[in-house]
Amino acid sequence: MTKQLDLLDIQGNVIRAYGRFGYPMARYVFFNIKKSDVGREFISKITEKVTTSVEWGNGVGEIRKPDWTVNVAFTYQGLKELELPTSSLIGFSAEFVAGMKQRKDILGDDGPSAPEHWDKIWQRNRDQREFDVHVFIALNATGPNFLEQAYDWLCGLEKEFSEGVKILSGNSREDDPPMDYQDVKVVIEHGVPTAKEHFGYTDAIGDPVFEGMPAGSQRVNGRGKQMNDGSWAPLATGEFLLGHFDEANEYPPAPEPRLLARNGTYMVYRKLHENVATFDAYLEDHGQKYPGGKELLAAKFVGRWRDNGAPLTAAPDAASKRIFDAKLAAADEQGRDDLLSDFTYDHDMSGAKCPFSAHIRRINPRASLQMVHHDGDTPGSMKVNPDAFDTCGALSNRRRLLRRGLPYGDVKDRSRDDGNHGIIIMMINADIGRQFEFVQQQWVNYGNDFKAGNDKDVILGNHSTDPECPSKAVIQVDPDSDAAPYFLSKIPRLVVTRGGDYFFVPSLTALRMIADGVIDPT
Amino acid sequence: MSNIAGKSYAMNVISPIRSYTAWLNKFFFWISSKFPSTLKGLITLSIIHYAHWTIVGKNQFPRLHPDQPRETVKYAYMMFFSNFNGSWDQYVDSFTFAIPGGLDMFWKWNIRFPKSVPLTPFHKYIRYNQLETIHYYNATPLAASNDIKSAKAVSNALLDFQQHLSDTSDADFMKRYNALLRGLQHDLGDMYPTPIVSMAAYHVQRRQHGAADKRNKAPHIDEATTTSHGVYDYVE
Amino acid sequence: MSSNVSGNAYALTILSPIKNSYTHEEIAYADVVRECLQGWNMEKNSPMALVPNTYLCRYFVLDDVVNQSLPGAGALDTLSDLLPLVPDWLRRRALPAQDRLQSRYLVFASTFHGDLDTYLRGMWEAIGARIKEVWKYCYGFEQVDSADTFIAYMKRCQLQSALFFVGSNDDALDSQLKALYLKQEFAKFAIDNQGRDATTIRQHMQAFLQRVDPTNLTAPTWPAGKYRLTDEAAS
Repeated sequence: MTKQLDLLDIQGNVIRAYGRFGYPMARYVFFNIKKSDVGREFISKITEKVTTSVEWGNGVGEIRKPDWTVNVAFTYQGLKELELPTSSLIGFSAEFVAGMKQRKDILGDDGPSAPEHWDKIWQRNRDQREFDVHVFIALNATGPNFLEQAYDWLCGLEKEFSEGVKILSGNSREDDPPMDYQDVKVVIEHGVPTAKEHFGYTDAIGDPVFEGMPAGSQRVNGRGKQMNDGSWAPLATGEFLLGHFDEANEYPPAPEPRLLARNGTYMVYRKLHENVATFDAYLEDHGQKYPGGKELLAAKFVGRWRDNGAPLTAAPDAASKRIFDAKLAAADEQGRDDLLSDFTYDHDMSGAKCPFSAHIRRINPRASLQMVHHDGDTPGSMKVNPDAFDTCGALSNRRRLLRRGLPYGDVKDRSRDDGNHGIIIMMINADIGRQFEFVQQQWVNYGNDFKAGNDKDVILGNHSTDPECPSKAVIQVDPDSDAAPYFLSKIPRLVVTRGGDYFFVPSLTALRMIADGVIDPT
Repeated sequence: MSNIAGKSYAMNVISPIRSYTAWLNKFFFWISSKFPSTLKGLITLSIIHYAHWTIVGKNQFPRLHPDQPRETVKYAYMMFFSNFNGSWDQYVDSFTFAIPGGLDMFWKWNIRFPKSVPLTPFHKYIRYNQLETIHYYNATPLAASNDIKSAKAVSNALLDFQQHLSDTSDADFMKRYNALLRGLQHDLGDMYPTPIVSMAAYHVQRRQHGAADKRNKAPHIDEATTTSHGVYDYVE
Repeated sequence: MSSNVSGNAYALTILSPIKNSYTHEEIAYADVVRECLQGWNMEKNSPMALVPNTYLCRYFVLDDVVNQSLPGAGALDTLSDLLPLVPDWLRRRALPAQDRLQSRYLVFASTFHGDLDTYLRGMWEAIGARIKEVWKYCYGFEQVDSADTFIAYMKRCQLQSALFFVGSNDDALDSQLKALYLKQEFAKFAIDNQGRDATTIRQHMQAFLQRVDPTNLTAPTWPAGKYRLTDEAAS
């Protein structure tokens, strides 16, 4: 990887998933701007503390890793309040301008995921001006003391600029007690921090690697783009950062002037509640009937085994899982990473190992969409159709998403759905419509590209609450075997949206210019 | 107006071609139709129901009456009609990502065609030359092209299974039944009304549905020969 | 070298010139045609649902051709990069000329199963009155008063296809509709019978095949143009 990015200009949360760098907890705070000029002064002060992507180290001349980090993003309404000129504002994407709530029909946020069930802050957002979410501030910390230190600092700033900004409350479904922030933290099991979420799955293994990412070459296998010769290459920077060439050999559409957009990006913030009781019951029920048992079935929902994230393509059954686990235990850090991440679907084109409706296959099909079934092939089989496309990963490469965020809440009672626990997911992409919304609408909540009609992603899909149109998924088997595919019937909605919006994450340069009020595309 | 009918999108594109290259264009098309391997990428994409191209020479616009003025155009025109699944963006993008070479071969004759990579000029070219459909009819709005293909597989498999129902042992029957399911494991996706592909189209549909209700229009004549009708709405 | 046909499927492109005049209310005929077609969108289902073997079809009014103006890599532009002596007037003459159509056209593009004559006859017999509504302002249509004259008229308006790509298949429409019905029903059957023993499944399968009647294309099946799950075909 030869490309050099200006790491001092890019906000740290774009390049890094802080959770993997020793920041197991964070607090997300949302502000409303009451007076534009005071708002800009506030942003100016914040910007002085914003964490960049620069590489940390303890040596001489190196920048020490901070105890807590600060990052900031804006909604469209926020940029308007900060008085960006109209000719800049119209250059932002239509999806960003509309906001997530208005796009609910495209995103499938219906039934229990509809805005009327969202946290108060997101219900009121874009409804009454004084409750609009304008600014997002993320504070990540290495421990609880530092988190409180960070929050105290932020509250101090709110007080100092109280004439023009205020923290928005309502990060829950009731206003009493008032929730002024959204906390997230890694799930602790037996006193040990894990990478798990509340259904029990090991998360955060997959994450795209793009040109210029520090240490990207160590993590590119399985995370970059799959090439025709079987190797992996980093994705074009412009898939995730504005102002750089993307996979289509051009600059992604961006607002003017250039300095406003360059090294900035869009972020999708979504709060997803997990119905743990429904999940446990459904898994228990089908786990008894599924040949292969409950844990294998749980793995089939996602494409990875729950306990350690072993991919089904490498460990399609209990026996191969034991072998995989042994290899994993014996491997060094790089070896472990390759075992978990470096795989393709080239030898699983029929879905016998990782089903077509499994979560990780839906959100990142790698090169598996270059599939075909010819007359005369074994019934129920698909195979690679080599050279049908320009490159084997052609249909996936421009649909990738950087994932940030952490789980929130604790599950106090697994027999109930109504607790306060789930995941905050922040997806980073250069084009909300082409990347996030496409994946959400066409691959998560619909299955045509996977030859699955209207069948959805088992875990994330907005499964029907209408008993006349129950949701289902097919768990494929080896076409050369004697087995029958297994049908997951009446899949309940396991994950429910509780709110969110679309944000713009500016570069440091842009932040300073926004704060100074000097953006001018004339 | 609507470019959408159920899961299908109607795209109409008209673009000028130099008269002296029109025949070459027709020739390349003809080659493609004779050698279907050239269309491998299109087939693998699997999102087109039916698509056709026509090339109108500058003297070939239909003239039906002496009162109708003769056309005096300087260029020949290519007209492209596609019926595909998914949104406009998905369709145009997948062509650019997956089969830019093929696209270029078909479109390069068109004047000022910017090549299919990079993406934005190509998007602009298609939008620029696209004409809206006023009325679009789809006989199978609940079905994507994949569904139509899968349905045929299911139908054939069931017809075959029906022929051999007189198996003797239970074990044999289960074996055949499992084979039936296994053979159709990529063909049994449910078909429900499409995802919404565009907010504008969705709103127009809702307004039209509302207006149709208000007018309380009766269904047409000649209902006797048909079965019941559906309604243009995405609301369950 | 025309490719109107691919297997049993046909791609029909019709351009019918519209008379350049206007109605009593001072609305151009072409605009009336467009208004009429827009009205078809408000009906319970398209009149074309009644035309046998129509896979998909569309109507619009072609007002004018689209002129190009994008700067391009035309030969003379490139030449003028290399040879600054290409005079500007010559380079500018190489930019695309503007074209104008003398008439506006009703465009009807249909993809269907079977041969052209049968299709057009079927169309006239099913919706002759609607055809007249839409086509009555077109040159030459005054002669049309029967299936035969309609077929002759349409052939005069027909453009030949240079390439026809069939992505789905070229089966008769009622085969396609029956197959879709079977697919939806069988998916439900597979789920309902998962985990049952052989005897039960066999019994259920027999009853199922009797109910869905795979060889009977008339019923039960999906109706043409079915938008909602609740619309069942009349038996």
